[in-house]
Amino acid sequence: MSSETSSTLPSSTSRLQRHADWAVYALFIVMVLGAPLVIDDVFWLNRIAKYLVFGMLGIAIALSWGYAGILNLGQGLFFGLGAYMTAMSLKLMSATSLQQGSDKPVPDFMLWNAEPGAVTDLCCINKGSFLWIPFQSQWFGMAMSIVIPLIVAFVLSSSIFRLRVSGVYVAIITLALVLLVRLLLIDAQPITNGFNGLTDLGWLTIGGFEFDPYMVETYYVVAVSLTVVLLLGRWLVSTRAGLILQSTRDDPTRARYLGYDVAAYQIFFFTISAGIAGFAGLLYVVAAEFASPSFMDIGFSISMVVWAAVGGRNSLLGACIGAILINTVEATVSETEIFKEAWKLIIGGIFVLVVLYLPNGLAGIARDLLGRFERRRKGTPAETAPKAAE
Amino acid sequence: MNEALTIDGLTVDFGGFKAVDGFTTVVQKGELRVILGPNGAGKTTLMDLVSGKTASTQGSVHLFGENITNRPEHIIARHGIGRKFQIPSVFRDLTVRQNLEVAASGEPGVFRNLRLHMVAEDRARVEDVIAMTRLEPVLDTVAGELSHGQMQWLELGMLITQQAKVILLDEPTAGMTHAETFRTAEIINEMKGSHTILVVEHDMAFVRKIAERITVMHMGKLLAEGPMEKIETDPKVREAYLGSGGIH
Ligand SMILES: Nc1ncnc2c1ncn2[C@@H]1O[C@H](COP(=O)(O)OP(=O)(O)OP(=O)(O)O)[C@@H](O)[C@H]1O
Ligand SMILES: [Mg+2]
Repeated sequence: MSSETSSTLPSSTSRLQRHADWAVYALFIVMVLGAPLVIDDVFWLNRIAKYLVFGMLGIAIALSWGYAGILNLGQGLFFGLGAYMTAMSLKLMSATSLQQGSDKPVPDFMLWNAEPGAVTDLCCINKGSFLWIPFQSQWFGMAMSIVIPLIVAFVLSSSIFRLRVSGVYVAIITLALVLLVRLLLIDAQPITNGFNGLTDLGWLTIGGFEFDPYMVETYYVVAVSLTVVLLLGRWLVSTRAGLILQSTRDDPTRARYLGYDVAAYQIFFFTISAGIAGFAGLLYVVAAEFASPSFMDIGFSISMVVWAAVGGRNSLLGACIGAILINTVEATVSETEIFKEAWKLIIGGIFVLVVLYLPNGLAGIARDLLGRFERRRKGTPAETAPKAAE
Repeated sequence: MNEALTIDGLTVDFGGFKAVDGFTTVVQKGELRVILGPNGAGKTTLMDLVSGKTASTQGSVHLFGENITNRPEHIIARHGIGRKFQIPSVFRDLTVRQNLEVAASGEPGVFRNLRLHMVAEDRARVEDVIAMTRLEPVLDTVAGELSHGQMQWLELGMLITQQAKVILLDEPTAGMTHAETFRTAEIINEMKGSHTILVVEHDMAFVRKIAERITVMHMGKLLAEGPMEKIETDPKVREAYLGSGGIH
């Protein structure tokens, strides 16, 4: 699973390919936004909303792994941080936080564990509870869902990339970090509810409107967010900076000798990728109504990488679709117990095959097919096969 | 100011072994300087020191009067040093055009590059270089699929697009066919005058085609410096090359 997996990459093309690319984007967005017209089962809609959130994680992975060549095996850290920040606010909005004989909200788990006679106020019910005070504002919590991952990612990546750490070492460091934070999170039981995570959350409320996770409106919050992130991501990788980033992935030394501060590009895109993961965490909490240390399980971070690899790590949309597809299939399959176990094997096998034979994943297959079609149409020989777009 | 590159007493000590040892030379603006020397003489190391890849332990490097000694690579590059490596180094997964576009960006910062289109001036430079290096037919080919020669020309083209003031070329014809070597000499001759160039080269036929002044290095030190005729007859140079079969 090294970031050095050989691949011939996509680098720009033909007009047909560019058009096809946009057509696929348009189709995807129409399907995502139009899903509620076809699916009227709110439970499925809620499920799909969660998978769209995973799709957003696929985008985050593709941005750092595919475009920057940085394999982050700890993306769950940023997702988890994003989730907890919003979950803290929603926890304080929950009915369970208000029914405790206090007029100010206090999370139920803090009350259960409070020392006898402790003041039942966020200021001082326990040593760390004051940290919750600003989260009484839902907007503060939501802002922190993005800001905290950005700050953590910036500090982390600044130290890693300034020291020119690369390849598998980055993967190890990020992996170790997510493990560490997970332990701290569980350990800080009085303020995080430890292993149990934050449950019994209130609903996101905007202008008096409550976003019940099992409502079409909530689905749209997620679907529109995904669309915006996808298009912004696409814009980002199409900019000059996106191209320069890809050059630093191919040959950092050459990029330096052209005058680029390679670390600055890596830090920027790594941080953006973390911000996207944090935003995904926010949305997940809105749709799933809980935050848990399991978001920082290694298995989850590795799953994200698998989704992106299968969908195509060099394509934002490919990785996004990979995540949605795998999760949808998994949900359908896991209804039966036997398949549930087998599924893990199957997905592991698919991953190995993809890494070995299809470094560009599903998106790569689509591009190859299009390229073949194009050559046949033009009747040109295959030698200067232009590799596809994005 | 006519001194483009001033190297003064440059030394690097690899734990007791001085690969470059008190090397001094001045390259004038617009000059094409060839550096000769037997294997292991320290030519590549000299380029590493000038371009910031390796930190020197003594001495200094000035570029148009500015001290660039031991600065980070990208800062040295921004000051105007361009470098071609012994093994061609291009962005293998990007197309030829994209390679040149990356080299063209006059603006190194991330935020300044958050825009979709190139500045007209940069774009024009890319077009000029495409014409000069004759890479037109392979513009949309991924650089990793180019022939060895094309890859070398692309790298040269990137240095020109980058607007490097002083260009360091490490064995630009290594592994090239006769025809490719000839074409490379043409490109380098075209660059003469408008660029200051430092070339390390073994191929004497090639050196005769392009050389003006020659510097001979031996065991990290400067052995001789002067025009071709003088160097070829210099007894010290003959002696240094004895072990490796003389100047060919
Ligand atoms: N980082 C290093 N540490 C120790 N020794 C080094 C290092 N880099 C180079 N050397 C040594 O310095 C000497 C000069 O090497 P250099 O590559 O500069 O020679 P060169 O003149 O370019 O030779 P060639 O013609 O074979 O390319 C060699 O003996 C080499 O082994
Ligand atoms: Mg050498």
